[in-house]
Amino acid sequence: MKLYKVKQVLSDDLGANNPVFVQVLGICSTLAVTNVLANTVVMCAGLIFTTSLSSFTVSALRKWIPSRIRMMVETLVIASYVIIVDIVLQALLPDISRQLGPYVGLIITNCIIMGRAEAFALSNTSGLSLVDGLASGLGYSYVLLIIAFFRELLGSGSIWGIRVLGDWWTNWSIMVMAPGAFFMLAAFIWIVKGPLQRTKP
Amino acid sequence: MSEKGRIKKGLFTVFFMFLVTFVFISILSLLHVLTRERIKLNESLVLKRAVLSAADLAVPEAPGEVESLYSDRVREIKDEKGNISYFEILDPESSERAGYVLIGRGPGLWGEIVAMIGTERDLGTITGIEFTKQNETPGLGARIAEKWFKEQFRGKRTPFSTVPEGEPADETEFQAITGASTTSAAVMKIMNVSVDKAKRELREGG
Repeated sequence: MKLYKVKQVLSDDLGANNPVFVQVLGICSTLAVTNVLANTVVMCAGLIFTTSLSSFTVSALRKWIPSRIRMMVETLVIASYVIIVDIVLQALLPDISRQLGPYVGLIITNCIIMGRAEAFALSNTSGLSLVDGLASGLGYSYVLLIIAFFRELLGSGSIWGIRVLGDWWTNWSIMVMAPGAFFMLAAFIWIVKGPLQRTKP
Repeated sequence: MSEKGRIKKGLFTVFFMFLVTFVFISILSLLHVLTRERIKLNESLVLKRAVLSAADLAVPEAPGEVESLYSDRVREIKDEKGNISYFEILDPESSERAGYVLIGRGPGLWGEIVAMIGTERDLGTITGIEFTKQNETPGLGARIAEKWFKEQFRGKRTPFSTVPEGEPADETEFQAITGASTTSAAVMKIMNVSVDKAKRELREGG
């Protein structure tokens, strides 16, 4: 595994080719779990775990996977890791598992995971694929955390369930609902992509 | 590719898929078996804590104490199929019935809401409410699981109605959650319907 490749992968996934604000993938969960910060953190942890390990596994198997059934294998691998996350949460963190409810199972449908397996893991070594999965997960996570921070602050007047804005603050209910996530995501993309695109010739 | 080569390739594809599936399912099954008992225990603890809290008993932290308090003070009443239909709360001294915890079910905004509803012996005054299942919108409807919302029911009487803003004036009113009127109405309906049903069914036998 060469260092410059790792650097390339990291800068791609975190910035220039970020899964959320450049590729616009994984939007369903961006809308669904970003209204309360605590849920977002668990969702992100689950996603980082699943993308990195599924990319690693798919890459390790890539020489044997017949190309016509590669998507079946990818889905199987991804689903297995998600079920592991679900079972572990139920056993060790039952309260968080109850709060997240169906969202954990929905990690399976997150397009980023399948996207990384298809676009990267099938044509790269397993070590580099692990880094790529990890970096994609992190690239997804920091965007979600920023969005969740502002949604919880504006929508509930609190951070991590603790009230930080005083009684004078009127909660913006729309921030807690899905439309609020569209506004926040659009604002985020507008702010981040403006400078990024301007630097290009 | 020759006919033979194609068959060989096809067979390998089937075999490969079978093998990969077998390996992954085995790992998952193993994990499931290893954690099954623990998950069951977690779920029953959640239920027991909810029943005790709905009966307005101080819920201890340690799982062992929850178990012993529950077995001392709660009697599970089951229907013919063996499912729990409601709970009786026993008086600590006389071991007589001091109250009920009813299981209320109903549709919320996104999915079923299941609530433990504690009442006094006359099925009139509410001793507490605890939700064991709800998938309402986090930050809006899911706030029914917050303490301030659940606590406001203690000592009040059905049939309930909601007030949107400010302090409820009457003992049959509770404060709805702003921006979650569907969920608030669902909770109101679940409570009114289950207490009504219990009054009809339980009072007949005394």
